[in-house]
Amino acid sequence: MERYDIAIIGTGPAGLSAAITAKIRNKNILLIGSKTLSPKVEKAHTIQNYLGMPEVSGAELQTAFTDHLADSQIEITEDKIHAIYAMGAYFMLQGSGANYEASSVILATGVSAGRLYEGEEQFLGRGVSYCATCDAALYKGKSAAIVGFSPKEEAEAEFMAEIADKVLYFPMYKDEVQFSEENTKDKIEVIREVPVSVEGSMKAERLVTRDNSYDVDGVFFLRESVSPAQLVPGLKMNGNHIEVTRNMATNIAGCFACGDIVGTPYQYIKSAGEGNVAALAAVSYLDQKKRAQK
Amino acid sequence: MVKKISAKEFHEAEASKAAVVDFSASWCMPCGMLAPVLEEVSEDMAGKMDFFNVDIDEAPDLATRFGVASIPCLVVLKDGEKIDQSVGFLPKEALTEFIEKNM
Repeated sequence: MERYDIAIIGTGPAGLSAAITAKIRNKNILLIGSKTLSPKVEKAHTIQNYLGMPEVSGAELQTAFTDHLADSQIEITEDKIHAIYAMGAYFMLQGSGANYEASSVILATGVSAGRLYEGEEQFLGRGVSYCATCDAALYKGKSAAIVGFSPKEEAEAEFMAEIADKVLYFPMYKDEVQFSEENTKDKIEVIREVPVSVEGSMKAERLVTRDNSYDVDGVFFLRESVSPAQLVPGLKMNGNHIEVTRNMATNIAGCFACGDIVGTPYQYIKSAGEGNVAALAAVSYLDQKKRAQK
Repeated sequence: MVKKISAKEFHEAEASKAAVVDFSASWCMPCGMLAPVLEEVSEDMAGKMDFFNVDIDEAPDLATRFGVASIPCLVVLKDGEKIDQSVGFLPKEALTEFIEKNM
């Protein structure tokens, strides 16, 4: 497998700025995100304090960023990263489309507005999980509630139903839900209710909604984005943000973070500046590592 | 060294004064990632702690007995009694810290 020097996760101002700086420093980079960059930039009405670009609209800034990437010959890999493992000498990134290896990582995924359910954190790993396909084998002969935030999670529910006795599926979106796989459809019950909390004693025992309570052996929350601590196991947080030093270094050697994910103020130019710092810190980390090997 | 044991051999872990049992499975990605890191830590702590690996597909009763609801799950045993557990992948430093605090 190709091992990149720096993997950058996120295509907002922080991630893009990090990518451009790393590229200038001749590093072999992997930039993961969306070709439309960042919805937070795209949808901004006007930005008044982006240096050199007074009264720029979000859409204009997005175009300027895209042009800058093209000039720097930087490609965006469109994938979703589920987990990043610090293996010691390198990082292993597990994506939907593929797995990747990199010597260092820069996290620039922004802040997610997603709120945790009551009991979710308390029972995490004790009946609460974020990956149905990962834990399905533990549910042989058991029941599971799956809270899906997008239609693509229906496939996870079907996978779970192949093993579990009963799957309760709670769609958190408006689209119609239709399970058609012959061998599993009778095992899946679609419930249109709003989950409120997870309850139990030693482990999770039921999912409580606004209207009812369902006894299950496990509860799965399948969201669009996972929280940083879930994304990088072992990462030290400070509330909802990743704890970093002045050099954007996290508690894990070789892992850096920048942009909204490390804290307020949530400003485009602050994110871009931090991306620059993170990239230079990653470059210096790689240099030191190389020297140590000699 | 992390010793792979079956349900029948589990008495070895119970007989140990201080042991870490890694409950995992062949199909679990984070388990596969944790294994080499745990191997490294087990070398560092050789003589102070015994390390075992149990495949939950082969030993579902043990998984139930130790309340393993998600894997990888590291269970720390002191004279056969469970004193702590950690769920999910951990980088080397955090893993070392978790085991040391239970020594």
